[in-house]
Amino acid sequence: METVFWASSLFVLYVYAGYPLLLGLWSRAAGRPSRRAPHTAQSWPTLSVVIAARNEAHRLPRRINNLLEQSYPHPIEIIVVSDGSTDGTRDAIAPFSERVRFIDLPRGGKPRALNAGVAAAHGDVIVFADARQRFAPGALQALASNFDDPAIGGATGELILDGELHGVSESTVADGVGLYWKYEKWMRRHESRLWSTLGATGAIYAMRRSLWRPLPPETLLDDVLAPMRVVLAGKRVVFEERARAFDRVAANGAAESRRKTRTLAGNYQILALEPRLLIPVVNPVWIQYLSHKLGRLVTPWALLAVLASSVALAPQGWPYAMALLLQLCFYSLAIFGGVLESKHRLGAGPAEELERAASSRRQRS
Amino acid sequence: MKTFQRLARVAYTFVMMNYAAIAGLIALRRGREVWK
Repeated sequence: METVFWASSLFVLYVYAGYPLLLGLWSRAAGRPSRRAPHTAQSWPTLSVVIAARNEAHRLPRRINNLLEQSYPHPIEIIVVSDGSTDGTRDAIAPFSERVRFIDLPRGGKPRALNAGVAAAHGDVIVFADARQRFAPGALQALASNFDDPAIGGATGELILDGELHGVSESTVADGVGLYWKYEKWMRRHESRLWSTLGATGAIYAMRRSLWRPLPPETLLDDVLAPMRVVLAGKRVVFEERARAFDRVAANGAAESRRKTRTLAGNYQILALEPRLLIPVVNPVWIQYLSHKLGRLVTPWALLAVLASSVALAPQGWPYAMALLLQLCFYSLAIFGGVLESKHRLGAGPAEELERAASSRRQRS
Repeated sequence: MKTFQRLARVAYTFVMMNYAAIAGLIALRRGREVWK
């Protein structure tokens, strides 16, 4: 039981502190910046922006205007793929018909919509975007500037959450999610500097069209599977901090939990879809993948093992009793946080819930 | 009190985000729809 306690504790410590420390030192010693040569108007790659959307008619005009406002040396191809929308998406897109290609598919899931969008695209580089977020000025140019380096196959931008920008958010979990997201971005920055990030931000990422492989229809995380396939093809996926997109934190703990559950289910699924990620000679970021992505999947089991072994070992000595006490304090604090969160959710009626209700009313009418 | 509440919210988010890995595995095994 002592072995279980110490092995699990060290594992959690490694995932959350040891690996970031190792990564920071490693990227400082062996990091390689991306090679950016000065571009001429001809040397910029042509871009196709693909947006897969389901019932986003209320957001798409703003989204398209945001893309049309981007400055870029070439005209940007914009492709909107509707995945079985029933809210008048076609009509919402109609005013942009000269600048936007619209593909209307029956409902089949986001991966099929993305596959159709990329198949229709002509750009050297495909940029993926969602309907909800908006890009900062210059974001597309910043993303594209990386593709002058032939070693780079993809680039992911930086997603700024509302709480980060103004220090305020309507979300009840903004504090925790904001901290976590800053920590994640720090890791992503250093992993990028070392060789490659281990995924991308779905709201803003780009890859060479030549490296795209159609996604299996059941794919949960296109923004991890597609970039990891780029990495498996021997190319880098870099984190481009000058390419910024803006979004909100999920409105509350329940919404964030659903989002996170889907993300982690997707990380399990990717192991089945791309088992090559587990082979060190095939995956150039094997250590990072095991420490970061796989580590996060194993951590909750390790946390449970630490708790169970602490309970069993507490009568045997004060270090174990102390460890148990600390964990009980921490979990009690978390339960109190959960109570605060649910009170806030029930009392305030967060914006996203209101927006969802409004959207469903629009759909019905 | 405000700092304590903030700490509590951060602890809740940490626990929720970590244990989502278990929820994700269960959802995947049961074939529950986790697609948005």
